[in-house]
Amino acid sequence: MTSNSILIEARGIKRHYLRGSETVKAVDGIDLEIHAAEMVSILGPSGSGKTTLIHLLSCLDSPTEGSLSINGKPVAGLKEDELTKVRRGVLGFVFQKFYLLPTLSVAENVELPLLFYRQPVRREETMAVLRQVNLEDHARFMPNQLSGGQMQRVAIARALIIKPKILIADEPTGNLDTENGIAVFDLFRALVREQGISVIVTSHNLVFGYRADRIITLADGRIVREEKGPAAA
Amino acid sequence: MRFISLALKNLFRRPVRTALTIAGVALAVAVAVSLAGFNLGYQQAIERSIDRLGFQVMIMAKGCPYEAATMMLKGGTGLLYLPADTFAQVHSDPEILSITPIFIGIAEKQGSSIREDSSSAFAVLTGVEPKTFLEMKPWLEFQSGTGFDGGKWFSPDATDEVVMGYEAATYEQRKVGDKFLATVSPYGQAEPVSKEFKIVGVLKRTGTQDDGTVFLPIKTAQAFFNRPNQLTILGIKLKDFSGGNLQEFESRWIKLPEVQVVSLEQVKSTLVMLIGTAQVMIVAVTVIAILVAIIGVINTILMSVYERTGEIGVMKALGAFRGDVFQLIWIETLGVCLAGSIAGGVIALGGAHLTEKAIKAVIDIGIQGSIVTITWPVLLGAFAGAAVVGFFAGLYPAWRAASMLPVDAIREGIG
Repeated sequence: MTSNSILIEARGIKRHYLRGSETVKAVDGIDLEIHAAEMVSILGPSGSGKTTLIHLLSCLDSPTEGSLSINGKPVAGLKEDELTKVRRGVLGFVFQKFYLLPTLSVAENVELPLLFYRQPVRREETMAVLRQVNLEDHARFMPNQLSGGQMQRVAIARALIIKPKILIADEPTGNLDTENGIAVFDLFRALVREQGISVIVTSHNLVFGYRADRIITLADGRIVREEKGPAAA
Repeated sequence: MRFISLALKNLFRRPVRTALTIAGVALAVAVAVSLAGFNLGYQQAIERSIDRLGFQVMIMAKGCPYEAATMMLKGGTGLLYLPADTFAQVHSDPEILSITPIFIGIAEKQGSSIREDSSSAFAVLTGVEPKTFLEMKPWLEFQSGTGFDGGKWFSPDATDEVVMGYEAATYEQRKVGDKFLATVSPYGQAEPVSKEFKIVGVLKRTGTQDDGTVFLPIKTAQAFFNRPNQLTILGIKLKDFSGGNLQEFESRWIKLPEVQVVSLEQVKSTLVMLIGTAQVMIVAVTVIAILVAIIGVINTILMSVYERTGEIGVMKALGAFRGDVFQLIWIETLGVCLAGSIAGGVIALGGAHLTEKAIKAVIDIGIQGSIVTITWPVLLGAFAGAAVVGFFAGLYPAWRAASMLPVDAIREGIG
């Protein structure tokens, strides 16, 4: 795969829904391509459609209109389990809330997706991804023994264990201070640079968002600006 | 890591809530196991007690046959007596294999005991013919050891010898060669009469009413109670104890005035019926307990599902299929039910003695031995029942969790 390979291709996607008698146009006709080994920031104020767009791009939600393909597979009209199949092995997820299981150790949390993939657990692989996020010494820790930044790095390791082509991060710095937020974005940059993973990240914080290769700004469910970031320059 | 270990770890998130839910299931299982143990044990105890009477058919004075049978099992007052010539008429019946006449009387314990008993205390004095009585109960043996060696049955004509059952002797603290003082109110006499007997033997424990009985020669007993030739029961073994033969025998002797023929099979079934009402109530309580437990389990697991809405969404985002989530929640439910069933089984086993005491306190019809028998099949049945309950109780919460759309679940979790 070259760096120009298109992993996600969206054409005129819309996501409208009814709230009472009002139609909410959360995403209202977006064309977008995500290429391999690029980091894309989606910025915008609250309610601009960032999260809805990222849910569409990650097959967690389906567009009401338009076409969308992930890794070359059209996903329109697929049922939930079929969308899960599309996601598996392609998409890794990081969320604002870390969603670590409190009864599992750090290593077990990282290995959780392997349970759903019916793949054997290889502790050396777990340790390798924990090393990537600088938490190899914390494998036996429980989540409540970690700081917010450490928990987010565990969540990133959990996304990486399945070797995704695209890492999707929805407001990953929302619960972090500036220092930890920058560290997370630096980690994303390293993943893009060293492993060729594409990263799509939403943020309302320009300081973080402008650390990407490409910055897309949304307002009212539409792309209002698309620019190259300083990292790509 | 496997689904089962993940599910079990999830249950430890809210240990108090999980423990309370398990306790609810355990209570229901304990009640169910105790009930099943009672059903089983009670029937066995009735059969054992009646079989240990030794005879298949009783001829006794007209009245409530089941009251009489209960009296045979448990002792009591209000005895009725057969006309004096009944034995002479019946004993030559060709269908009879063996027959033994029995006279039962009640002695007051005051003056006959070394204990200070309440005025209602009594001792059962049973007059028997050793030869025919032992044909019915060949298992009766004498106690041995210091103070008990040399035990023997009295001779039929002895006037001052008794044989004591195991519990009667233990209660009175008597051994072979000791004296036993009995006070009775003879028929037709205003004043009680006391008489001292010599104990010539103490029987081994049998687990029947015989243990609490004082045996004496039948003629001596009849004379002591001033009822010469009268009998309480004729115990009979038939040559052929089939339904038709028994009916013929019954119809032959039922014609005698003031006499009834009672099959111990009838007594068995009636004693089982006697407890039927109580069993229905216990079953109703058990069903309610099980329903409450099921609702408790569903409620707990549903709460847990709702609390983990965001987490379930993330699991789906990470690659879990609907079936995976269903499986996870369903295993949790099953885990609660199985843990509850194990705890309930242990409680039922540990509390069997208390259950038995409680039941006997409410309904005592003289059944000897344990009436609550908790066996492996009963316990395994309870575990299987809990698994079935867990299977159904887990369906709805598991379906709810599996049906959550990942995007909604994540949104709700963040909210």
